[in-house]
Amino acid sequence: MYKGREGQWAFLLHRLSGIAILAYLLIHVFSIGSFIFGERFYMAIHETYDWPIFRIGLVFITAGVVYHAFNGLRIIVMDFTGAGVAYQRQMWYGVMAVTVVSGLYAAWTLLPRLLGGY
Amino acid sequence: MTQMQHETSTAPAAAKQALPMLHIKIKILRFDPEKDRKAHWETYAIEAQAGDRVLDVINEVKWYHDHSLTFRRSCMHGICGSDAMLINGRNRLACKTLVRDVAKDGGTITIEPIRGLKVEKDLLVDMEPFFDSYKAIMPYFINESPAPAAERIQSEEEAERMAHSSNCILCACCTTSCPIFWVNGSYLGPASIVQAHRFIFDSRDEATQQRLNIMNQNTGVWRCRTAYNCTEACPRDIPITQLIEEVKRAVMYQQA
Ligand code: HEM
Ligand code: SF4
Ligand code: SF4
Ligand code: FES
Repeated sequence: MYKGREGQWAFLLHRLSGIAILAYLLIHVFSIGSFIFGERFYMAIHETYDWPIFRIGLVFITAGVVYHAFNGLRIIVMDFTGAGVAYQRQMWYGVMAVTVVSGLYAAWTLLPRLLGGY
Repeated sequence: MTQMQHETSTAPAAAKQALPMLHIKIKILRFDPEKDRKAHWETYAIEAQAGDRVLDVINEVKWYHDHSLTFRRSCMHGICGSDAMLINGRNRLACKTLVRDVAKDGGTITIEPIRGLKVEKDLLVDMEPFFDSYKAIMPYFINESPAPAAERIQSEEEAERMAHSSNCILCACCTTSCPIFWVNGSYLGPASIVQAHRFIFDSRDEATQQRLNIMNQNTGVWRCRTAYNCTEACPRDIPITQLIEEVKRAVMYQQA
């Protein structure tokens, strides 16, 4: 692995979170839309969302959305101002702090579902 | 000590004797297209001083351990830009990197060819695609107006605009550290954008529009995702990402 610094990881996480949100959105639209095939079909899909991977995934998708949104703002500031480039590292640590706090908050509110399912 | 000896011993020589030798391992990614199907690591045990350059150590390997080791170097003083390599996971010039900054006594220095360009042999890569991108940005002064009697004057502020970008030595440390370039070789890359910046922000150059159009193509500045690897890697301390962002803004305001 190339030993890049903050900027390299900021970029990688932005791309991964972007793809994850896109995937989430597509699955979301498809599974809600599946109601046109009837309730049984809809429920069959939604029962799979009780699998542990989907329960934990909720926490990560929340953190991913928050990361992508706030790092998106960091990128916009960098693109439009010289100061943004100068302070990109500090801004990234800010973004990471907000992301971790939101992730923890999501895990806390989702705790019953994480442990017990529906 | 006799008077005679005292007079002939010079200070640097005395300092050299006092310096302890470090025992280090040099791990190099080797590839010989005539023998190997895949690159493989070779390790050499070397003694070096803390103040030696990594290039001295590589020369030591070539001269006393394995003559077949292949790499580029020329000036040995950070000017020609020929010895960019991946040293301990980061792109650097071997002649500008001191042993003490990358290894301790008993430690290991890993050396690989720069990434994203075809390896010809060992640390030697094919630089043609890199220089093709360089040629694509029209890296020459364009001014069709008749030359004045004396020189073409620039103010200090105007010279300052292109001060950083005119420091580039085309070593490719930046372009071959860029994650976008590794995945997509058609991206012109940070080095070419730095070179374009040098002419775009030259108050005497008249081809600004054409240059900005080249930067606006899909192989140009918009490929950059601000990962900053280039800025960290530049041995000339050019704030590359900042310059790329300046070019992005210039393209954007030209379109507006
Ligand atoms: C809060 C809303 C959002 C903001 C502020 C935001 C911001 C950004 C910005 C500024 C970029 C450009 C990245 C760059 O130049 O390096 C980007 C890329 C991207 N975004 Fe978003 N975005 C948001 C929502 C979304 C959503 C909802 C999705 C998915 C449906 C998404 C998917 C992506 C993807 C796939 C990329 C490309 C990543 C890359 O090229 O590395 N974004 N986003
Ligand atoms: S910008 Fe810096 S790293 Fe890139 S080619 Fe020029 S001198 Fe080398
Ligand atoms: S700042 Fe842009 S050009 Fe430099 S390494 Fe990152 S993506 Fe590549
Ligand atoms: S040998 Fe010339 S830059 Fe290192």
